[in-house]
Amino acid sequence: MSEKKYDPYESFHKLSLLWEKQINDFIYLWTNNNEFVKMSNFGTEVQTRYLEQLKKNQEAFASVLNLPTKSDVTNVANLTIQAEEKMEALEEQIWDLQDSVKSQSKEIASVVEVSQEIIKLTKQLKQELVKSKKELADTKSLHAELQEMKFELLKLSNFKEELDAIKGLIEKEKTEQPVLSSAGSSK
Amino acid sequence: MAIETPFKNLIPELNYEKETNRWKNVVKALTGPAPKMGHSPRNEVWRKNKSVLWHYPAKQKKYEIPLFFVYSLFNKPYILDVAPKTSVIEGLTNLGYEVYLLDWGTPGYEDKKIGLDTYIDKYLRTAVKRAIRHSGADEITVVGYCLGGTIASIYASIADEPIKNLIVATVPIDFKPAIGPDKWTEGFRNGDINIDSFIDVYGNIPPKMVEGMFRAMQAPVYFTNYTMLLSRAHDQRYVDKWQRMNKWTVDQVPFAGEAYRQLANELFKQNKLVKGELVIGNKKADLKNIKANLYVISGSRDHLILEDQSKPIMDLVSSEDKTYVVVETGHVGLALSGLFGKIVDQWASSRSNPL
Repeated sequence: MSEKKYDPYESFHKLSLLWEKQINDFIYLWTNNNEFVKMSNFGTEVQTRYLEQLKKNQEAFASVLNLPTKSDVTNVANLTIQAEEKMEALEEQIWDLQDSVKSQSKEIASVVEVSQEIIKLTKQLKQELVKSKKELADTKSLHAELQEMKFELLKLSNFKEELDAIKGLIEKEKTEQPVLSSAGSSK
Repeated sequence: MAIETPFKNLIPELNYEKETNRWKNVVKALTGPAPKMGHSPRNEVWRKNKSVLWHYPAKQKKYEIPLFFVYSLFNKPYILDVAPKTSVIEGLTNLGYEVYLLDWGTPGYEDKKIGLDTYIDKYLRTAVKRAIRHSGADEITVVGYCLGGTIASIYASIADEPIKNLIVATVPIDFKPAIGPDKWTEGFRNGDINIDSFIDVYGNIPPKMVEGMFRAMQAPVYFTNYTMLLSRAHDQRYVDKWQRMNKWTVDQVPFAGEAYRQLANELFKQNKLVKGELVIGNKKADLKNIKANLYVISGSRDHLILEDQSKPIMDLVSSEDKTYVVVETGHVGLALSGLFGKIVDQWASSRSNPL
């Protein structure tokens, strides 16, 4: 079992805690009353007036000697801050512009996208039109050929009619020829 | 005959190595260079006057909605990026969040006219707009720490920008419950203390006065941090932590005069935020206008911002999704330990559109 050894520093610290508390309690009792508060306020007012007077004199001397004072420095600093605020406002306006440009760019991008679609569609339509034209030309030539065929057919049917007529005539002639031969033999 | 030493157990054993280290570390901690803070890699997105909007890229982006941090006007931005492994920002970027941080800068005398309305309307609003544009996201999560939480809440109540989530930690919303001497609070609210002429003369509140104000609220005399350092200075890790903690508590920035006047008069004195009477620009900063998902974190050991000051926001907002948690930590410890980042991730991961 380890026995805790005496530490003089720790004892000194404990003692100092006690002293500190006693001193602070004494100060508290001494100062925590209305009279002391009012007296302190009076003291502060006196000091304030004295400092105010000192400052006024300092300003007067500085003005005679044409020397800048802290008030002059303050004015210059305020001008710098004003300039900073203007820059800030300008920067924010640039932000707004950037934002609007960005949104416009997005809109333009979407328009371009739509346009590309339209172009693609138009190209497709064009291709189909060419194809249709070609088909139409083919159809026309087919039509002409058909017309020609029709004409040929018509001609053929005429020819057939003529053939039929000739055939009729031939048959008619065939039926008339035996009558003529019998008459000849009876003579 | 052996000689016996009386009270041998009471005489401390002298470990030369340990003691050498202790005193070497004490001297180093008190006189050496301050520890480097703010390690995470970052890029500048926007700059105005002394303010800078920083972007901390995610190690591997896992969430669509970025986090936008707003810290207190009393502090410096490194409070959220204190040290490697315990940095809030580093933790979140490692978890896959894109993080933005508005560095308020250190106001000079020329910035004395910058009020809360200017900070919110002209700096925070613009920075959020820039962050949204820079990230390419449609929405954003605003995270406020301490007074930064108050500013974030006021902004969220008047914002036109798409805030999806609002996270506030150790945030003062209701200024009625106050720490510090009650008679001073009473005197200030009754008008026995007038800070207007003081602000007019000084312009800004000097950092030493800001530090003094915080000291006066808790412990005007404070030296036990040094005795604590002395007692544990042999431990290098503790010394590093102590240095960072000490830097945080003493490294204040001047507070812009007009903003301090508004903070003191309109928030602390008249408690206008809770009453819905605060006007920023030409808009009424009524917390009921907040419809974003809300996450409120309080520290159970926070002696600077009490739970009673943060909790009222839960009833004042119109958010449907709202969560309130109390974490076992102090005001500074929440950020210093990096715990804040883990707590934010637990809640925000499901609300940041995982990719």
